[in-house]
Amino acid sequence: MRQTVLENDVSKITELAKQGKRLDGRALDEMRDFTLELGLCENAEGSAKIRLGQTEVLAGIKMGVDKPYPDSPDEGAISVGAELLPLAHSEYEAGPPSFDEIEVARVVDRGIRESKAIDFASLCIKEGEAVWVAFMDFYAINADGNLFDAGSIAGLASFLSAKVPKLNDKNKIIKHEYSGKLEMKRMPLLTTFVKVGGKIMVDPTYVEEKAAEARFSVSTTEDGYMAAMQKGMGGSFNVEEVNYMIDKAFIIGAETRKKLIKQMKQ
Amino acid sequence: MKRIVIPGEMVSDQRKRLGGNVFVSDGKIYSKVLGISDESDEKASVIPLEGKYFPQAEDVVMGVVSRVVFAGYGININSFTESFIPRSAMREDLRVGDLVSSKISYVNELREAELGFPRRMFGGDVIEVTPVRTPRLIGKNGSMLELLKQGTGADIIVGKNGRVWARNGNLDLLRKVVMFINDNSYKSNLTNSVEAFFKAEGIQINIAPKGEKTNNAAEESEVLEANAEESEVLGGAESEELN
Amino acid sequence: MTEEKIPDYKKDKKRVDGRKMDELRPISIKVGVLPNADGSAYLEWGQNKVYAAVYGPREALPKHTQNPYKAVVKVTYRMATFSVPERKQPRPNRRDMEISKVLGEALTKVIFTEQFPNTEIGVYVEVVDSNAGSRVACLTAASCALANAGIPMKDLVAATGIGKAFGELIVDLNKDEEDAPDAVDIPFGIMPNSGEIVLLQMDGLLTKEEWAKLVPLGMKACADVYAVQKKALQEKFSLSEVSEKNVEAVVEAKVKQEKADTKTEKKDQADKKSAGSVKPGVLQQVKAKKVRK
Repeated sequence: MRQTVLENDVSKITELAKQGKRLDGRALDEMRDFTLELGLCENAEGSAKIRLGQTEVLAGIKMGVDKPYPDSPDEGAISVGAELLPLAHSEYEAGPPSFDEIEVARVVDRGIRESKAIDFASLCIKEGEAVWVAFMDFYAINADGNLFDAGSIAGLASFLSAKVPKLNDKNKIIKHEYSGKLEMKRMPLLTTFVKVGGKIMVDPTYVEEKAAEARFSVSTTEDGYMAAMQKGMGGSFNVEEVNYMIDKAFIIGAETRKKLIKQMKQ
Repeated sequence: MKRIVIPGEMVSDQRKRLGGNVFVSDGKIYSKVLGISDESDEKASVIPLEGKYFPQAEDVVMGVVSRVVFAGYGININSFTESFIPRSAMREDLRVGDLVSSKISYVNELREAELGFPRRMFGGDVIEVTPVRTPRLIGKNGSMLELLKQGTGADIIVGKNGRVWARNGNLDLLRKVVMFINDNSYKSNLTNSVEAFFKAEGIQINIAPKGEKTNNAAEESEVLEANAEESEVLGGAESEELN
Repeated sequence: MTEEKIPDYKKDKKRVDGRKMDELRPISIKVGVLPNADGSAYLEWGQNKVYAAVYGPREALPKHTQNPYKAVVKVTYRMATFSVPERKQPRPNRRDMEISKVLGEALTKVIFTEQFPNTEIGVYVEVVDSNAGSRVACLTAASCALANAGIPMKDLVAATGIGKAFGELIVDLNKDEEDAPDAVDIPFGIMPNSGEIVLLQMDGLLTKEEWAKLVPLGMKACADVYAVQKKALQEKFSLSEVSEKNVEAVVEAKVKQEKADTKTEKKDQADKKSAGSVKPGVLQQVKAKKVRK
């Protein structure tokens, strides 16, 4: 409900952070709990809605058939888009993509793409003629901070549940028929931190983001790789801080992955 | 008879004095909002359950500085228009996000509120509630507010615009009880149950004479009534005729 | 629908999805689903799934859009890229713009706009899954979100599709029926209490006689929609008494949550004071209650 950020809150968050505490009682390295709802959208090839604290994001996949790029005739592609809907917050406006939308979309995109979670060669239908393009778009429905991780978790869940449509002999999609699942080799997840009052905290809420000096996201995989990083906002980190966040991201990422798998099984 | 009505639902098919949040069409009285219908022999009104803050003279409100310009400060009072405090009215400089308590001195025909006696608030905590439900946090003659103060030991100011400011005392407990009252504002027996709750917590409550407590039902309807009256002033001109 | 056989509703007496001619798909509405919005609603109507949120009344910006005599109702209708069988381009198209406009005009009629000069009431509707009839679903959801936002209104707006397919007059066309060779689709929205029409569009070929027969069908269907809307708005509130038990229950639930939190805090050993000092009274009571049970 509260969308006017009080100076009071900002200074309180900063003060608490210095003592290693947070406004909502979480530990500095504690994610908010999340729930997933899968397959909400029947027209999508895969969809997932996440509720991370009060942040709500809906992600969906559409599979399309397209011509391959000339320099990679046997490879399909993925495309990630994000919209911070004006539904989600009084600050967001309808209109052409904002800088924030483009950044969050590109960071989530790189996290998945660069982890080689999806083998683009497996998306080839006929070399030089037709390949699959997996479009993942995610929408902020209610924004209370950390759309990066919410988008990443919902995005991954929608990829994991995505089905590949059947094609007829002219490579046209046959509606409501599927040839199998989209194959995912890894499970990359973003973990986002902010620096408040010189302290690092994970999974910031909306007011914590307002109090933050700098932001850092890193995508980690279950087999020990980092796939993408992004430092954002005006502040800076030193090397020790970055190393600390990377270490934490692997631990938190593993926990999140466990929760995600558990929720997907249900 | 009290019941939950939705916009456009008939409150009464008889000619009556119009209270707040109702309109007349074809001689019948309908509700303008989602609320509780409050109908007596001579008057029909609706107490709203949801909604933004309608500024009104004499209300104590909690504003947040949203804009700083040369001449003064733009203040968000949770209403649909911004208020303004000239720089000369404040002793110290304000910054965006600062909290200011004030009493509304005048509301013009565009429903812009003029803020009198602005005071910057230091420290404390703000609990946001649904503005139309704040009368229940105050209670008749401030009985609920007194109860909250005693139960939690906090200094509390209820901004009519849905921002409850509190300092010292057990703020965690206060937040929970305030949210409880907010969520159940439309129910009866609220004061008694909150009081009993504090007592069960082992907190000493020492409130006004007994007579008033037992007379809870009457108290509540009066509080609700007061709320409806308020909006009547606002609705005033428009509620007369429609369509 | 398969290509082999075109259905004939006059003969079949039943529609492709098994409905009767005047039967709506199942509708469910939940209000107040988005905490950030002033009012919100989530609606499922058959396969259609839409979110509606209301922000405002708030200062209309840029300033030249302000009307000194009333609020401007601004509806933004959008579809998620994955809400349709073939991926939709994210950029708003002409259809989105037109629907936004007619929905805004339909809602303007029911709102007491003159109470809020110089302001804007932002209504945002997002279709996340669809199967014909998404604009009437949006209008129905939006009017619930407005009521949930406490905005003064003359009435709700209830809407449905009406029209013709496979030789018969029907309500609430689905996609297969919209694609029928003789399809006529009429998005139809009314103020249920007065029966005034606030949304009316049409595609297809229709006779005057058919229209005359369709209107009562539409009115009846809208009355059914209205019943669902009314229930959704009222179900959040029940006029019962509260007792101290209710207060306890609420506080207890929250305390349990905090107990978990304080555990982690203890590990940190960063603080013992502020978290600990608050709760003992409540905690003891929770324990005592368990023993009693």
